[in-house]
Amino acid sequence: MFNQLKQRFGSPLSVSIVALIAVWLIGLVILPQLIMVNYSLKPNLLPAEIGGIKDQYTLSNYATLFSNTIHLSIFFKTIWSSVLVTFLTLIVSYPLAFYLAKVATPRQAALCLLLLIIPFWINEILRTFSWYIILAYKGPLNALLLELGLINRPVRFLSGDGGVLIGMVYAYILFMIFPIYNAIESLDSNQVKAARNLGASWLRTHYRVVIPHSKPGIATGCIMTFMLAAGSYAVPALLGSPGSRWFTQIIYNWFFEGGDWNQGAAYAFLLLIICIGFIALVMKVFKVGLGDIAR
Amino acid sequence: MDRSVHLNNAIMRFGEFTAVEKMDLKIESGEFFSFLGPSGCGKTTILNMISGFLEPSEGGVYIGDQPMAGVPANKRPTSMIFQNLALFPLMTVAENIEFGLEVRGVSKVERKKISDRLLELVALEGSGDKKVSELSGGQKQRIAIARALAVEPQVLLLDEPLSALDLKLRQHMRTELKEIQRKTGITFIYITHDQGEALTMSDRVAVMSAGKLQQVADPITLYREPETAFVASFVGENNAIPCNVLESSEGYAVVDAGNLGSLAGRIKRSIMPSVSATLFVRPEGLRLGCEGEFTLSATLAEVNFEGSYLTLTASLVNQQVVAIQLRANQYNEAMIAGSALTLSFDRQDAIVIAGEANDV
Repeated sequence: MFNQLKQRFGSPLSVSIVALIAVWLIGLVILPQLIMVNYSLKPNLLPAEIGGIKDQYTLSNYATLFSNTIHLSIFFKTIWSSVLVTFLTLIVSYPLAFYLAKVATPRQAALCLLLLIIPFWINEILRTFSWYIILAYKGPLNALLLELGLINRPVRFLSGDGGVLIGMVYAYILFMIFPIYNAIESLDSNQVKAARNLGASWLRTHYRVVIPHSKPGIATGCIMTFMLAAGSYAVPALLGSPGSRWFTQIIYNWFFEGGDWNQGAAYAFLLLIICIGFIALVMKVFKVGLGDIAR
Repeated sequence: MDRSVHLNNAIMRFGEFTAVEKMDLKIESGEFFSFLGPSGCGKTTILNMISGFLEPSEGGVYIGDQPMAGVPANKRPTSMIFQNLALFPLMTVAENIEFGLEVRGVSKVERKKISDRLLELVALEGSGDKKVSELSGGQKQRIAIARALAVEPQVLLLDEPLSALDLKLRQHMRTELKEIQRKTGITFIYITHDQGEALTMSDRVAVMSAGKLQQVADPITLYREPETAFVASFVGENNAIPCNVLESSEGYAVVDAGNLGSLAGRIKRSIMPSVSATLFVRPEGLRLGCEGEFTLSATLAEVNFEGSYLTLTASLVNQQVVAIQLRANQYNEAMIAGSALTLSFDRQDAIVIAGEANDV
């Protein structure tokens, strides 16, 4: 491969390209991760104790999570809520992606995509704050619902998980829509017509023809949304209530409030490992291969 | 069972554009009916109206006397074979055929029975468990037919289904389609831009141009008695000679064809004198020699040997190029480019139609 590069760009340029990639990969990806792994496997020591007899590799940081029932419950709640976020995002995104790919005229699709993308030009924190305002007890949403007579007293959207779920669905909708949109767009429209023509209802047409075809896109969107949701910090920090703490907040606390980087690193890796394992499991259940996703 | 299809003054507009102009047409029960026309003439739009993918802007569609207005595509007694076949690639052959039955809640055992019978009908026994991608073009074609027939439609709609096949297979499938139609008694509505397909298979053909019906007739009438200049030039080969009508009477018109002299041909209805018209003579209507009623001198430009027959291309004295079709055994050595020819024809072999022949 290096020879190919050399033939194309000559030696000096090839060496610099490879060197840059190596610096990026080693210095910015592998080393920091190794340092964190190293941290996670060592006890939190005073500076004086480093290098002493207590400075030994141990799994005790990982064990902490399993002995702390509160952290453990928040951990599983985070996984479960992320599943819920992923599911809700899918429910919202799929019809929209289908509309964009198969129903809308090119003009309508372009307009719709623009409307979807524009909010993402705004900083995530600001977007989340705007939801904070919208969902507030005396905010515009409650005012609107009261005005319409749908409720007779304001709802506390932000006191449970509701605010976090809404905020996250909104934050990750593009990551779900685009892969599904790409997948559905590659479906021959005659397939949909053929299913209809053979008597299939809309529901069955989707279930038997559109969804099987767009499965890789759906899987990609779900994985991205799930990983982003499980690793999200801003949304739960701003829209969450004390009862809806996210595991990332606990990791944050270990690092910056507890000052225990070793413990924080161990928690972060646990979250990563469980998430990857969970995704692998889901992919197996739904018979999606890695190759499908790369398509 | 009444399997007729009636387009009752149906019109289809897309914004400003009228894809199908007011059309009143009854397709008989059990008929093999074709719509023939160049691409973009609105024939696929007609299929979409019948199958329910489009609702006509005005007028309506009736299938077996039942009005179809408001009946969605999945509730109509029609079945469509798509140009690209649109088989479901993620399902097996049997699942494809059984899809329409599965949707209707037919039991698995019953479905299997039906798909086996249909696979036998299209001569693909035992292919049920294959993937669609394992089939050849012709086999896919037959699976598409089997899938469409599985739901026992009253009307089968075929949207240029043979256009992707090679010549031999296409000719073979024509016979098979005709055979299936005869066996099942289903009304076939066939869409094509290939006149060979339309003429060989159909009971009746509707020739369309720019959203309008030009002529509806059986293939022989269409070929022998074209009613419009479009039909005359679109269906089969035809030599179109521009002319002016001198007089018309008793089924014939005498015309002035400039420096070709005055010629004559049959007419359907009388044409006023001095109206500009076109005289059509088929390549097989032109003869070598001067035995015919009207004589034309020409210069031979090209000789094409096509197996059982020969096609000569020659230019007349007014530089117009005409084609002459001869039997292969009429060939002689003297037929070389540049040699002078005398052509002739009789008035009953020519047709005069008012208006100018448009390029097809």
